[in-house]
Amino acid sequence: MDVNQPKQEHLLALKVMRLTKPTLFTNIPVTCEERDLPGNLFNQLMKDDPSTVKGAEALMLGEMLTLPQNFGNIFLGETFSSYISVHNDSNQVVKDILVKADLQTSSQRLNLSASTAAVAELKPDCCIDDVIHHEVKEIGTHILVCAVSYTTQAGEKMYFRKFFKFQVLKPLDVKTKFYNAESDLSSVTDEVFLEAQIQNITTSPMFMEKVSLEPSIMYNVAELNTVDSAGESESTFGSRTYLQPMDTRQYLYCLKPKQEFAEKAGVIKGVTVIGKLDIVWKTNLGERGRLQTSQLQRMAPGYGDVRLSLETIPDTVNLEEPFDITCKITNCSSERTMDLVLEMCNTNSIHWCGVSGRQLGKLHPSSSLRLALTLLSSVQGLQSVSGLRLTDTFLKRTYEYDDIAQVCVVSSKVKQES
Amino acid sequence: MENSTSSAKDARSTVDEEDRGNTTEQKTREEILFHEETIDLGGDEFESEGNETVSEDSNNFIDKLNEQMMESVIISDSPNNSEDDTGELGCLQEMVEQMEAKDNQNSRAEVGKEELLSNESETEHEETPKDISEIGTDDQASLKEESIQETEKDEPKLGDNIPAETKPNGIDESKPEDQISSPSTSKPSTEVEPIPVCTIFSQANNANAQPQLFLPDGFEPQMVKSPSFSSIIETPVKSNPQVVQPSPSLSKFFGDTVNTNTLASDFFDSFTTSNFISVSNPNASSSVPEQMSSLSNGGESSCAQSNPTFSVGNGRLEASGPQASLETTQSPKPFSQIQAVFAGSDDPFATALNMSELDRRNDAWLPSEETRNVLISVATQQYSTVFIDKENLTMPGLKFDNIQGDAVKDLMLRFLGEQAAVKRQVLNANSVEQSFVGLKQLISSKNWRAAVDLCGRLLTAHGQGYKKSGLPTNHTTDSLQLWFVRLALLVKLNLFQNAEMEFEPFGNLDQPDLYYEYYPHVYPGRKGSMVPFSMRILHAELPQYLGNPQESLDRLHNMKIICTKILENLEQGLAEDGSMTNITQENRQASVQLWRSRLGRVMYSMANCLLMMKDYVLAVDAYHTVIKYYPQQEPQMLSGIGRIFLQIGDIKTAEKYFQDVEKVTHKLDGLQSQIMVLMNRAFLHLGQNNFAEAHRFFTEILRIDSSNAVANNNAAVCLLYLGKLKDSLRQLEGMVQQDPKHYLHESVLFNLTTMYELESSRSMQKKQALLEAVAVKEGDSFNTQCLKLG
Repeated sequence: MDVNQPKQEHLLALKVMRLTKPTLFTNIPVTCEERDLPGNLFNQLMKDDPSTVKGAEALMLGEMLTLPQNFGNIFLGETFSSYISVHNDSNQVVKDILVKADLQTSSQRLNLSASTAAVAELKPDCCIDDVIHHEVKEIGTHILVCAVSYTTQAGEKMYFRKFFKFQVLKPLDVKTKFYNAESDLSSVTDEVFLEAQIQNITTSPMFMEKVSLEPSIMYNVAELNTVDSAGESESTFGSRTYLQPMDTRQYLYCLKPKQEFAEKAGVIKGVTVIGKLDIVWKTNLGERGRLQTSQLQRMAPGYGDVRLSLETIPDTVNLEEPFDITCKITNCSSERTMDLVLEMCNTNSIHWCGVSGRQLGKLHPSSSLRLALTLLSSVQGLQSVSGLRLTDTFLKRTYEYDDIAQVCVVSSKVKQES
Repeated sequence: MENSTSSAKDARSTVDEEDRGNTTEQKTREEILFHEETIDLGGDEFESEGNETVSEDSNNFIDKLNEQMMESVIISDSPNNSEDDTGELGCLQEMVEQMEAKDNQNSRAEVGKEELLSNESETEHEETPKDISEIGTDDQASLKEESIQETEKDEPKLGDNIPAETKPNGIDESKPEDQISSPSTSKPSTEVEPIPVCTIFSQANNANAQPQLFLPDGFEPQMVKSPSFSSIIETPVKSNPQVVQPSPSLSKFFGDTVNTNTLASDFFDSFTTSNFISVSNPNASSSVPEQMSSLSNGGESSCAQSNPTFSVGNGRLEASGPQASLETTQSPKPFSQIQAVFAGSDDPFATALNMSELDRRNDAWLPSEETRNVLISVATQQYSTVFIDKENLTMPGLKFDNIQGDAVKDLMLRFLGEQAAVKRQVLNANSVEQSFVGLKQLISSKNWRAAVDLCGRLLTAHGQGYKKSGLPTNHTTDSLQLWFVRLALLVKLNLFQNAEMEFEPFGNLDQPDLYYEYYPHVYPGRKGSMVPFSMRILHAELPQYLGNPQESLDRLHNMKIICTKILENLEQGLAEDGSMTNITQENRQASVQLWRSRLGRVMYSMANCLLMMKDYVLAVDAYHTVIKYYPQQEPQMLSGIGRIFLQIGDIKTAEKYFQDVEKVTHKLDGLQSQIMVLMNRAFLHLGQNNFAEAHRFFTEILRIDSSNAVANNNAAVCLLYLGKLKDSLRQLEGMVQQDPKHYLHESVLFNLTTMYELESSRSMQKKQALLEAVAVKEGDSFNTQCLKLG
């Protein structure tokens, strides 16, 4: 065990131990019945074992706390706690002891020692204790640098330091996705839905204490992760309050622009800052971690100059039978009046009925017109309505509209039967 | 930073890394800067969907229907992450200088450095395989945006490692990064040098952690090493067969303690990670078969002498006397020439009746269809031979002869010298009566290894000794009880592999020769299974300790079905096995009670197994079910569920359960419930990170019950977290000295030795003192690993 005894030239020994939360001792219950050979011997042994739960010895999870057995993993957002002990191994009194603990990350160096004052003297077999805490804010290599300086009885100034390196890992994987809800009149979208997938990429179960969206000043947020049932709001995740390793959860938020910003349509166009997710989790015995994402950004959908949206469309249509849709065409440009020509191009499945290349007439800024169109599909299944082209004759610019909507095309027989 | 945000990330990982290997240190510095930027930049880099102005699709539909990729978001703790990057190099440099300055005379710095070094190579070992796979996936497809994003994010972090490592000529100049992670090429000999801390750890940790480390988090996928490093990579540690190798039972079921991030643990030189040594027993190895056979002969002969006691030892109805001599291998035709003998011949008739009532109740079991048919044919053709396939017979035998040994004594020999070791006196299989009495004596004195040995001897006398597996044999109540005891002790000793080996010939415990009906002459009129119910539980629980909890659940479920069926039969006015036997109301009631409690025991095991599988939701449900069967355990069970929630981190639900406990115990009074409530409150404070309050409550318990081991130990643990190492030690030491008989427990000693290691460099002497204390009080089943005498 000379392991722990580096050369004895220093009078003081520095020991460091990471203080993760203690764990509960588990025992392996082995029971027998009265009539078995050992009689009540096995049960008595379990009763005498201090680590079992009295009265419920077969319960595996005991109450005895055991100290962490190894360094474990440390994750971004968690608190790194460590015990630092400087012990006087010698038989002489040591003076002016200064213990300094710094944490060196790849970007900065932090002092973690609680006190910076020197201890006047340390008697043999006594120790200086310090428990340091640090909320880990960076991923990657961290080095704990512990420096000890002291003066021997002979007046010799001594100094040594030790380095403890550890890696900080990422605990969560967060992915987001935006959905735009359309508004009726303007080209500016109204509501934005944010879907966030949060995956536990640690190796232990994680209790999600809080996952909230802090919206930017432009938005109000509604969390859509509870369901009201009988007056009580119930989590959409049910009774499973924790995430197993590699499990992913999906959170949904609805953001509405605040009134003052909604009116100023221009502000919300283009890239906007939506807000950030604030995540608080807990693991073993309440070990806490907290992270925030960076500002989530969204590109507001641009509709360009001319916007084509659908007013009506049937969901299911018969094969090779014409059906009607109603489109709305809006001039979104600020001051330009357009003169539009509509072309309808057939695709493999979609066939437009009527004349292609017809004039739609002049369309003033911010005005719109409704247009009824007829088409039929020659292929069964879910078909995409595509192939509309609008050409602005003033600017000779063509706008293409594909994949406007989907319809389900069924054989007419099926439809009749049903 | 720009390049890492670009979309052509895939190709980077391999090529760039090598490029960088040749760059100068300036570049390395840049890497560091990059690194830091990544953290702050956050998710800005992810451009949203490319929007071509001209083709304007109707976006909302697309959103719903096109599978749009989710965007990865970089997590940063940005609010207060300071950006000051000045001086970081300075710091590093300073560090290096310090180290260099001391390099020559100051051994301590040297040690520190070496620790870093070997840690570095350790990192290598762990990550290489992962990288390769990751790179593979990256190349494959851009669908996997997340993995790519990951690459991108983590890459810079490695900037400071990789260049240093890949640099073939790591000269000890003032290149800061080089110094920190000094390339192993520059110091080829260090691996060999016995710089103790790291090397020992890395081995120990490898064995434990490596297999699991690959699976979980797709971290650091971009780690690419120069070929010179790959040579160090050890072949994956072969999964040690862990025969006779007790695994530490210290709560490995929770948290990530098993999947340790070995990297840093090495560094904590004071915190000597428990590198449990396998105390493999030399006798158990298969390399000495001659020795074994001779031993087993010895065992046989010694048992021949002790045969009388063997049969006398149990004053039961079933006579086992004659069977001992029966071991001449016979055809499956059971006991055809033997008269059944009632040992308790002087028992009054009434007692015999009563006994048979008890027997029926306890031995009842429902055989499978196949087995039932065999048993029926045995019953109907009593005097002719019934041929049964050999594979339907149970032919157990000892699979290893002797695991006897005393790890405590071995340690004493090693650390305290021969003289001290001689003083260590424990009972062994030879020093007790060769009977059930002796066996019980060994068990209660905690000499379980010796007890396993004695079971083996008694079984050898029964003809089921070493190498007898696969040979036809007959079973008796006693032989099965002996097997149960032996296997149960193996499990208690954490020798799961051994238990599994010896359990194997028993199959699923449903073979016809394990039923009394198979031996109509020896057990006339007796019905049911010879296999004790507890042995079935043991058999069902075993696979979960060997990493196959699913199998355990299957077995437990089968047991549950049979128990439920038996209870149904009883409720329908039938006997346990569904026959029309008349049972008095009283006996029926007793039987219902027995089988309900057995069903409860099965549910208990299921709950424990689910807990081990970390399926907490189901485990909690199962524990709730257990309460129905054992209502008297409700407070303990609710507290247990509360602790499960604490373990998960769900403090609120834990609190709710603890409140329920208080409600339940409110009705009762008495010391125990009072303690329970205080204990729960303490745990709650622990979950809220309030060690001071937790300590207060644990101490409160001690005021009521000063000998409460759990409270004592837990209070001491709290003290450590409060920075009071000396007080904590005093408390634990006091407890151990005060009542060593009870407190020399694995968990307590583990905590104590951990604190010794933290306290001073002279932990060795103190540990040895503990060893001496253990030597006086503990039997051969003591798990010496907790002393961390490595």
